[in-house]
Amino acid sequence: MTQPATPARRNDPAGPPKTSPPRRGDPRAAPGARADVRTLSLLGVLAALIAVGGLTRPEEFLATSNLQLVLTQASVIGVVTVGMTFVITSGGIDLSVGAIVALSSVWATTVATQEYGFTGILFTAVAVGVGCGLVNGVLIAYGGMVPFIATIAMLASARGLALQITDGKTQIVTVDSVLDLGVKDANILGVPPLVLVFAVVVALGWLLLNRTTFGRRTLAVGGNPEAARLAGIDVRRQRLYLYLLSGLCCGIAAFMLIVLSGSGQNTNGNLYELDAIAAAIIGGTLLSGGRGTIAGSLLGVLIFTTITNIFALNNLESAVQQIAKGAIIVAAVLVQHRTLREGRGT
Amino acid sequence: MPPSTPLLTMSAITKTFPGVRALDGVDLEVRTGEVHCLLGQNGAGKSTLIKVLAGAHRPDSGTITWRGERTALTSPIAAMRLGIATIYQELDLVEGLSVADNIHLGHEPTTAGFLVRRKDARASATRLLARLGHPEIDPARLVADLPAAQRQIVSMARALSHDVRLIVMDEPSAALDPDEVDNLFRIVGDLTAEGVAVIHISHRLEEIRRIGDRVTVLKDGRAVAGGLPAKTTPTRDIVALMTGRDTEHTFPPRPSPTAADLPPPVLRVEGLARAGEFTALDLELRPGEIVGIAGLVGSGRSEILETIYGARRPTAGHVLVDGTALRPGSVRSAVRAGIGLAPEERKAQGLLLIETVTRNVSLAALPRLSRAGWVDRAAERAAAQRATREISLRPDNPDAPVRTLSGGNQQKAVLARWLLRGCKVLLLDEPTRGVDVGARAELYAVIRALAAEGLAVLLVSSEVPEVLGLADRVLVLREGTVVHTADARDLDEHRVLDLVMEGSPAA
Amino acid sequence: MPQSPVPSRRGILLGTAAVSAGAVLTACTSNEPAGKKPANSPANDPAPAADDRPGKAVTIGFAGPQADHGWLNAINDNARARAKKYSDVTLEITEGSNDTAAQIGQIQTLINKKVDVLVILPADGKALTQIGLQAMRAGIPVINLDRVFASPQAYRCWIGGDNYGMGLNAGRYIGEHLKNKTGAKVIELAGVDSLELTRQRTKGFDDALKNYPNITKVARQAADFTVESGQAKTAQLLQAQSDFDAFWNHDDDQGVGALRAIAQAGRDDFLMVGGAGAKSAMDAIKADDSVLKATVLYPPTMSASAIDIARAVAQGKGVGGLAELEIPATITLYSAVVTKDNVDQYLPTGFS
Repeated sequence: MTQPATPARRNDPAGPPKTSPPRRGDPRAAPGARADVRTLSLLGVLAALIAVGGLTRPEEFLATSNLQLVLTQASVIGVVTVGMTFVITSGGIDLSVGAIVALSSVWATTVATQEYGFTGILFTAVAVGVGCGLVNGVLIAYGGMVPFIATIAMLASARGLALQITDGKTQIVTVDSVLDLGVKDANILGVPPLVLVFAVVVALGWLLLNRTTFGRRTLAVGGNPEAARLAGIDVRRQRLYLYLLSGLCCGIAAFMLIVLSGSGQNTNGNLYELDAIAAAIIGGTLLSGGRGTIAGSLLGVLIFTTITNIFALNNLESAVQQIAKGAIIVAAVLVQHRTLREGRGT
Repeated sequence: MPPSTPLLTMSAITKTFPGVRALDGVDLEVRTGEVHCLLGQNGAGKSTLIKVLAGAHRPDSGTITWRGERTALTSPIAAMRLGIATIYQELDLVEGLSVADNIHLGHEPTTAGFLVRRKDARASATRLLARLGHPEIDPARLVADLPAAQRQIVSMARALSHDVRLIVMDEPSAALDPDEVDNLFRIVGDLTAEGVAVIHISHRLEEIRRIGDRVTVLKDGRAVAGGLPAKTTPTRDIVALMTGRDTEHTFPPRPSPTAADLPPPVLRVEGLARAGEFTALDLELRPGEIVGIAGLVGSGRSEILETIYGARRPTAGHVLVDGTALRPGSVRSAVRAGIGLAPEERKAQGLLLIETVTRNVSLAALPRLSRAGWVDRAAERAAAQRATREISLRPDNPDAPVRTLSGGNQQKAVLARWLLRGCKVLLLDEPTRGVDVGARAELYAVIRALAAEGLAVLLVSSEVPEVLGLADRVLVLREGTVVHTADARDLDEHRVLDLVMEGSPAA
Repeated sequence: MPQSPVPSRRGILLGTAAVSAGAVLTACTSNEPAGKKPANSPANDPAPAADDRPGKAVTIGFAGPQADHGWLNAINDNARARAKKYSDVTLEITEGSNDTAAQIGQIQTLINKKVDVLVILPADGKALTQIGLQAMRAGIPVINLDRVFASPQAYRCWIGGDNYGMGLNAGRYIGEHLKNKTGAKVIELAGVDSLELTRQRTKGFDDALKNYPNITKVARQAADFTVESGQAKTAQLLQAQSDFDAFWNHDDDQGVGALRAIAQAGRDDFLMVGGAGAKSAMDAIKADDSVLKATVLYPPTMSASAIDIARAVAQGKGVGGLAELEIPATITLYSAVVTKDNVDQYLPTGFS
């Protein structure tokens, strides 16, 4: 795309004029602008959904309590999705997130753990999440296992262990300080604590991906692992950290789920892996790695939760919900592609 | 460090990969402030050697001495810390990151060790790009959106972002226009004046004459000559060392009959255009004929080939094979009609790198080699072997993974694929990019032989002598428009460069 | 067969268990205080079976789905405890599986071992019909537990709960409470919608409500038997319906989540009825401090009865209290409504 610059032009101290005609990529489509187009199209989808909700059930949908509800329902899967976004950005996949959430939530709610109160539950949930992430990370980064296989193995074992621990029973939480976090009185300026945690995780995730060396390395490992290695990045350690991060997010999410449901059950986190992957991909994170967006993932999660909310408010059957959910995934991705192409001007 | 001590001494370096002895006791000595040229055919071990230098491969044996001290280059970081920076031909940029991020990848300027100081990174990127004579590259742009030539500049900026004592450049000029090459050599001059040493790998002998101080020639994993004077060693000697033959590379003779004797055109392109890339192109291609397109990097050459092939959708015009129009923008339609493409980015666009030669070669002909969806593996293997032997692909091992092949042989694998498929029109985009002198002559002979068998060949190359030497007819392209068409024998390099460079004195 | 009250299982969920010192995480995996074994049996009393004295030695093969749910777990426990009570019964119990193929394999193994009688709770009744037929042909009587085979030839006796009756009784209970209120509204939280039993429960509920023209069902959502989904779906239902009078939840396990959502929303202006009969639900009914006032049983003690029937079939005996010499071909259990008034009687059968 370089202009056949004449020597005279090359000697021009001002450099070549910036008005060279576009060739392969449009130089006006700066990366920032491109990401914005994508995010805008998602915002458009969300706005359309909000319009549908507002038109069909104006009183219930537009209430503050409903906003709190939607954000609370989005918070648990949202935290998982942040971790998933990092893993996918690095070219990996974590299919074990739902199982890790289940294992963390039951381990943290056994009678024995509950003896240790709030701290015991929180610590156990996070520690189990990080522990599972560590196993995933070591197997993938140092054991040379394919992420798909390693995390599917973790999925099976973590679910099995969760069942073993609970013996199929629902473990009810009796620690009041944990339960109290989930009720209205705990809201801070109208914001439920779980939503606050979600917001903090999203903000930290955004910073980590966009403003730190860790984020750059994640993108590099996902975009071109060989280039990352040649640039002196310890690719294997980076991969380990990424699965640890995903595990950490699962641990936090497990604690949030304990607060929300007041219990631990081995069936928790059912199909979280698919919801998290779908939200990240709809958000614009590239499944093959090398590009990731936390803002997009956030929007993806909010779109999903809003759909569920609108359907529940309109009392639609679950079969209809599932069909519509699938259709909306396809629509969101198509809209994105279209706006992206138009945004590029070709 | 006494001035006589070499900056770098590598001795008896060996490196073995499964099935391949890539380095077999190589010696190399580089002095402070010199431009040391590394020559050798592809497969001679140059790439492996520079990867050892970059810390990306660990040698099996041998010693490395850096400024008089034994050292082990255990990792890319270790090499960078010593001040060795490497500019690879490919693979070393992350497309999803911005120019500034790529330049500082792995050593970002940070606050508190992890927060990237983006302004500083941008500023330093801008500085480095300006120093390289390319202030127009925006540090905020994604590398994915940059053309090959600008990527090369970014790679170079990245090398310079370290505190370097030795820069290794792997064919830096391959993707550059002549004036950009001048610019590159000016920078190399500046660097060497500052005492930085440069290891320069190139296939262009004239470049070696221009900037080289000394030459080391590799062949079959060994250094067959070290420290030859770059300016005075006769070309004949260098080529002989590289190839083991006593000849300069030559183009195969053109068949004597002229266009009038050829059959009617197999490929007709009528008014083909793509907005912003190239304008109304008319072209006729007859069986047995080689037509070349000459033009600068970015003049629309590759885009034309890809549009004919259906990989890009034209905004106007159509492509006809044997009088039948192809569905615009459909590769399937083009392949069915008998068009084959050997793309510029072989590794990214043409080959399944981890697969075997057989699997790569048979890819386009699988329907013919299978029954009811079952691949007849014996037939596949036999057919692939016939095709690869016909163009003497080395090694003659149908099970070798393509990634272990040298550049020239990878290109042959792509050609063999279309040979096996039995196509009528072959589109070649930079067929000799990354292929060295000895292997080039062989590749030229293969291409000419394919034409002699009745194939129509459309060739694109940034090297004017290649187009002039190989093609029968030449189209000269400037900024997407054909400015001249002539018999190759009626043109010379000077005239072509005049045409493509808008009347400015040719470099 | 009347239900016999049984002693409580471990009081895990009350959090009374003490834990000994040790690494937190290691200790935390344990749900049981050391040394305390689940030695209690759900049915200690003399059963009303034809003959309680030791008879011919009998080997009973038992195959069920994976016990990943409180109710299924109680099924296994009840069967084990009942079998232990008889000195003449040997119980061969398989590892539970939700995979049809795996369960077929397990039952095949039991057939090959030549057990005297089989008790099968299929993961999927229709899909396992063939293996039931095969066992019957091999001369091994099959007691089909709860999820019914497609062919009556595949079992000697079917014993199970009444999903339609559950919905019917829940609807009647709510109807009787609201019959004097004009324009009463009810909402329903169903279980997994793809299961036939969910449809049957809803049908029974709707049929019962037809007797009360003043009551309208204004909303129905399906959860999936998990606490998490119960919480999520109930929170949405509460948001959608600012005013209603009664709430029927199909399953007490997801009811834990439903109650949590109700508490989080701070709602107490309606009557709630649960389903299945979990201990946590019965505790709440007994305490009478929440909206949950009743639950409709789907008794897991049916597996204990199945062991009784299997033993009687193998020993060639009938059931006491009935005139017939033979065991009946089908036994449908009654879905009793547990309220504060009778909860003490049922509390021992509550599962966790």
